[in-house]
Amino acid sequence: MKQKPISLLICALGGEGGGVLTEWLVDIARHAGYPAQATSIPGVAQRTGATTYYIEVFPATLAELAGRRPVFSLNPVPGALDAMISSELLETARQVGNGLPSPERTLVITSSARTLTTQERMQMADGRADDADLLKLVRQFSRAHQVFDMAAIAKEAGTVVSAVMLGAIAGSGLFPFKREDYEAVVKAGGKGAEASLRGFARAFEIVAQGKAQSDFVAQVLAPQLDPAGTLAPQASPPHHAAHFPASVHEMFGLGYARLLEYQGRDYAELYVQRLQQVLAAEREADPAEARGHATTREMARWLALWMAFDDIVRVADLKSRASRWSRVKGEVKLGDADLLKLYDHFKPGVPEFAALLPPAFAGRLVAWDRKRVSDGRQPWALPLKVGTHSVLGMLSLRTLASLKWLRVRGSRYAVEQQMIEKWLQGVVQGTRRDWQLGHEIALCGRLIKGYGVTNERGKENLLHVLDHLAHAADAAAAVRAAREAALADDAGKALDATLVQHGAPPRPVKAVPIRWMRKPKLGETTKAA
Amino acid sequence: MEVSFSKEIESLRLGAGDTFHGEGILAITKALLQSGVAYIGGYQGAPVSHLLDVMVQAKEYMDQLGVHVEACSNEASAAAMLGASIHYPLRGAVTWKSIVGTNVASDALSNLSSPGVTGGALIVVGEDYGEGASVIQERTHAYAMKSSMCLLDPRPDLGVMTRMVEEGFRLSEASNMPTILELRIRACHVRGSFATKDNVSPAVSTRALMEDPSAFDYMKLAHPPVTFRHEKLKGEQRIPAARKYIVENRLNELFPGRHDDLGIIVQGGLYNSLVRSLQQLGLADAFGESEIPLLVLNVTYPIVPEQVADFCIGKRSVLVVEEGQPEYIEQEIATLLRRRDVQTRLHGKDLLPAAGEYSVEVLSTGLTQFASAYLPGPATEEARRWLTGNTERRQAAAAALAKPLPARPPGFCIGCPERPVFSALKLAQEQIGNVHVAADIGCHAFGTFEPFSMGHSILGYGMSLASRAGVSPMMQRRTLAIMGDGGFWHNGLLTGVQSALFNGDDAVLLIFKNGYTSATGTQEIISTPREDARFEATDKGASIVHTNQTIESALRGLGVQWMRTVTTYEVEKMRATITDAFTSDFNGLKVIIAEGECQLERQRRIKPWLANLLKKGERVVRVKYGVDEDVCNGDHACIRLSGCPTLTIKDNPDPLKVDPVATVIDGCVGCGLCGANAHAATLCPSFYRAEVVQNPKWHERLFNSFRGAIVRALQPA
Repeated sequence: MKQKPISLLICALGGEGGGVLTEWLVDIARHAGYPAQATSIPGVAQRTGATTYYIEVFPATLAELAGRRPVFSLNPVPGALDAMISSELLETARQVGNGLPSPERTLVITSSARTLTTQERMQMADGRADDADLLKLVRQFSRAHQVFDMAAIAKEAGTVVSAVMLGAIAGSGLFPFKREDYEAVVKAGGKGAEASLRGFARAFEIVAQGKAQSDFVAQVLAPQLDPAGTLAPQASPPHHAAHFPASVHEMFGLGYARLLEYQGRDYAELYVQRLQQVLAAEREADPAEARGHATTREMARWLALWMAFDDIVRVADLKSRASRWSRVKGEVKLGDADLLKLYDHFKPGVPEFAALLPPAFAGRLVAWDRKRVSDGRQPWALPLKVGTHSVLGMLSLRTLASLKWLRVRGSRYAVEQQMIEKWLQGVVQGTRRDWQLGHEIALCGRLIKGYGVTNERGKENLLHVLDHLAHAADAAAAVRAAREAALADDAGKALDATLVQHGAPPRPVKAVPIRWMRKPKLGETTKAA
Repeated sequence: MEVSFSKEIESLRLGAGDTFHGEGILAITKALLQSGVAYIGGYQGAPVSHLLDVMVQAKEYMDQLGVHVEACSNEASAAAMLGASIHYPLRGAVTWKSIVGTNVASDALSNLSSPGVTGGALIVVGEDYGEGASVIQERTHAYAMKSSMCLLDPRPDLGVMTRMVEEGFRLSEASNMPTILELRIRACHVRGSFATKDNVSPAVSTRALMEDPSAFDYMKLAHPPVTFRHEKLKGEQRIPAARKYIVENRLNELFPGRHDDLGIIVQGGLYNSLVRSLQQLGLADAFGESEIPLLVLNVTYPIVPEQVADFCIGKRSVLVVEEGQPEYIEQEIATLLRRRDVQTRLHGKDLLPAAGEYSVEVLSTGLTQFASAYLPGPATEEARRWLTGNTERRQAAAAALAKPLPARPPGFCIGCPERPVFSALKLAQEQIGNVHVAADIGCHAFGTFEPFSMGHSILGYGMSLASRAGVSPMMQRRTLAIMGDGGFWHNGLLTGVQSALFNGDDAVLLIFKNGYTSATGTQEIISTPREDARFEATDKGASIVHTNQTIESALRGLGVQWMRTVTTYEVEKMRATITDAFTSDFNGLKVIIAEGECQLERQRRIKPWLANLLKKGERVVRVKYGVDEDVCNGDHACIRLSGCPTLTIKDNPDPLKVDPVATVIDGCVGCGLCGANAHAATLCPSFYRAEVVQNPKWHERLFNSFRGAIVRALQPA
C-alpha cells in the first residue's frame, strides 16, 4: 500500500468554477471510498484575480485503512506535487516560477488559452507575454505535460472550464477513481449536467490519449502565415513590382493596394516614387545586399501606413462597408431570427473638420477653438451616436466617405505630406550615412498611429527624434533607444529621459490649460449657522 | 444577496448519527447550534463571511430553534452584543475577520472581559494571515492576552474544530472569560467531514423569553472601583480556572514519539503543516505517527505552565512552532522554564522566520536545522536536498524568463459600476492636475491597481475621509476621499462625515452607492434596495439602488449642503462633477454620490429573468460593445482608461500593421463604459454598440427588411 497521499494543485481565475471543481473531486473521492481533503484561498479572487485550490487523496480505501486516518496537508508542497492543472497558461508559468511543479515528479496539465493581464493589455505597443516562453517553462519543469485549449473545448461543449478540467484530471489517471465515479457526481449536479459531461468527455479523451501536447506543439511550431488583412485585398504586385527586389514585393503589394484604395492611382504612384528613393539609398549603403533590403521592406510598410493616415473620410468608409456589417454580425453572434441595431460612437472635433478645409479657413477655425480652450472651456467637439443600421446613418457615412476629393485639398493633407517628406529624407540620408541608422529611422514609422492627440503625439515625437538624434554620435543606437522609450508611456517621461541621456533636449513643454483648484480657506467654517 | 445557501442550510439540520460533509466554516456554524447557542451576531469578511450569510438565510430554522441572528453594523456592535452573556446564562457567538475586525471590536471586548461572562461567549475570528490574506498582517493573540480572553487555535480537522466550539463555550463559562476561536484561511475553506449531533435549542431563547432583568450588581459593570477587582480576578481566579478546565478536559493534545528526549510544541492550527514537514524529513508516517513527541496547543492562551513544564522536563531540546510575530507563546514558555529552572534547550524563532505564513516548506527549513542538530541522519540530508532543489528551480525558472511575469491582482468585475468613476477621475485630473486620493477598504480599493493606480493611503474601513483631515489643511489643492456604502455605514458616517462637518473641513467625499458590501460577498446593508423594489422593477436588469435614499437623507440630516448624485456610467458627467467639486466656491464638505448597483447582483437577477423571457418567446434586447479591428489604432488608450476584463487585445489582422488591436470578447455585459469613455476622452472612433433584438415583433421585422434593403443598396462591398 503506497503510504503517500496523491497531491493535486488546481490553478484558476476567479469565477471559473475552481471551487465547484474542488467540491466535485472531494465528492468523487467519497463515492469511490477514498479519504480526501481539499482547501483553497479564494479571498477576493472571485473578482477576476488568480487563485489556487489544493486537494490530496489517499491511495487506499477507507475499508483498507480500517479506521486509520491519514493526516493531509493544507498547503501545496513545492517539489512534492504529483500533478498540477491550470486553466490559464500564464498562471501555470507563475506556479512554475514559485517552484511548485518539479521535473522529477509533477504531471502538468495546462490550458494553452491566455487571459491577458491588465499589465499586458494596457501597453502602447505589444505588452503580451510570449506563449513560447511560457510553454518552455512548462516543458522544462514538469515530469510530463499536456497542453490544450481548455477554453475552446468548454466553448464547444457549451459548458464551463471546470468541467473540462475535471475531464482532464480523470483522463490523466492521477487518482484511483473510475470514469463512472467522476461522471456520477457530475450527473448529480443536475442543471447543465449534459453540457458538463460533453466537456468532460472531450478533455478526458484528449488527455487519456496524450495527444494534447503533440497537437499543440505542432500548432505552435507551424509557420505563422499572415492572416489576410481586411483592408488589404491581396493585389497582384503592380507593374512596378519589377523595380523592387523580391524581398520587398509582398509589403510593396500591400502598400500599393492600400493607397490605391485610400486615395487613387496618383497617390499610389507617389508612394512608389518615394519608396524608390529609399531603395536607391539602400543599394548605395548596402551594394552587397547583405541586409536583404530590410529598410526598403520596412519603409514599404510604414510609408504606406502613414500616407494612408486615418481621417473622417477613411473611418466613414470603413464603417459603412458590407464586409464590416457581416463581421459585426459574427462578433455579436447574431441569430437568424434576430435583428441588429448598430450604433457607432464618433466625436469629431475642430481638427477633424479643419483637416478637410483649405489651410486658410482651417487656420481660423483652429484659432477659434484654441481661444475657447484658453478661456478655460472644453475644446469644441461633436459627440455623435450614428445608427449605421439606419438609412440616414448609412447615408451620412457614405456622404463623408465620398469626400476623398476634398481630402487632398485639405489642410491636414498638406501638413502630413510635408512631415512624410521630412521623415523620408531622414531615412534616405540616414541610410546613406549608415545603413543601420536609416533602418532605425524607418522603423520609427511605428510611432505614427491613430487619431487626434495620439496621432499628434506620435508625429511630434518622431520629428523631435529626427531633429536631435539623427546626427548624434552613434545615432543608430540613440534613435532605437528613443523609439522604444516613446512606446513606454504616453506622457513621454521615458522618451525625454532617453533624449537627455543621448545629449538631445527633452521635448518642448506644451501649454496645457489647467483649471486651478481653490486653496481650502483656512479657518473659514461652513457650519450651518 | 441573490446567492442561495439552501444546500448549506440543509446540512445545518443534520442530527445524531449523520455525517456532515463540507467546508470548515460551515462545520463551525453547525457546531454552534449543537452547543445550544442562543444568539449570533457578526460582521462579514473573508474567510468567515459564510457563517453569518448562512445563519441570516436560515432565519426560519433559527426561529424554530429560538436562536436570534443579527447582522451587525460593524464588529464593535457585534462585540457589544456579547454583553448579553454578562448577566444572563446565554451562550452567544459573534464572528468577524481578524485582525481588522478585532481592532474595531477591541473597546467592547475590553469592557466585556473586565466584568467577565456568565453565559459562554465565543468569538469566531478568521485569522486572515498569510497567502490569500487581504489585510495588514498582525496576530489576534495580542488581544487575547491583553484582555485576558481564552484563545482556541484548533487542529484543522473538522472533528476537532467542532469539538472546540462546544469546549469553547464551556471553557468560557468555567472561567468567566470570553473565548476567541481562531481559524486560518485554509482551515475555514478546508473540505472534510465529521459526525454530527442533534442541535440543542437554548433554555432561554426567542421562544422561551426571560421574565425579568437580573438584579443590580455593580460587579458586572466595567466601571471603577470594581474594574480594579476585575483586573485581580483575571489572574487570581479566571485564568487558573481556565487552566484547570483545559487540563481536565484534555483540550491540548499530547502525541508521544520514540525520540522522547526531544519535543515540539505547536499551535493546533499548524499541526497538519508540521506533520507534513515531519513526513518530508522521514520523522512521521502518513497517519501522523511522529518520532518526535508533540504537544499540540488547541488552546494557545492561556498556556498551562505545568503542562508545558512536564512536557519539557528531561528533554534535550524543544522546538516551539508559532506563526507570526512577536513570539508570545515562546516567550511565555521561556519564562516559565527559567522560573522552574528547567534546563531543556528552547528553539523557535531562532530557527523559524519571524514573519509570514508557516507553509510546509517554511516549516521544513527550520525543522531541518533542528533535526540535523539533534537527529543527524540520511533523512535530514534528503530533506536538505529537496529544499535546495526548490531554491535552484526557482532561480532557473526566473533565469529562463526574459522579463518577470506580469502580476494578476483581483480587479473590478465585468461591467462594475465603480470602474467608470476611476476613468472619470483619471480624465478630471488631466484638467485640474493630480489630487491627493484618500482610499478606503472595499472593491473600489482595486482602483489602486493598474490601469488606474490611484490612492495615497488606506487607514481602515470607512476611514478615508478621516484620513485626509491632516492633509487638506496643508495642501494647495483640495483632497478627495473615496468610500463605499459599506465603509460609510461601518464607520465612515461618524469618523469621517461628522468630523468633517463639525470642523468645517473643505473636502471632497465620493461615496460608491452600489447597494451592498460587495467585497465581502454582497451582503445587505441599511441602504440596500428593498425586496419590493426588486419586485416592482419592470426592467430587472436596471440598477435599483436609487430606490433607497437612506445615505442621502442621513447626510442631509447631518447638514451636508453640497451633494450631487451621478450615475457612475455617465463618465462625462462624472468628470464634470468631480471638477466642479474641486473648483467650487463652496468651502465645506462636498459629497458626490456615485450611484450604480453592484453588477454581480444585477447579473444574478438578470440572467434567470432573461432566460425566462426567451423561453416564453418574448422580445429581449441584448447589448454588446465591440471594436472595429480596421479602425482601431492599436494604441490601447481605451484599455488604460478601463481595464475591463472583456476589453482586451488580439493580433492585428492587417498584415501591414504590427501592434495588436483592441477587441471586446464574450462576457461583455454591455455596461456602456466603452462608449462613454470613447466620448468623454475623445478616443478613436473604433467602438460600436450593437443591440441584438431577440424575438422581435412582426412589424419590427417588416420595417427592418425594408430598411435593410435600402441600407444594403448604399453599402459598397
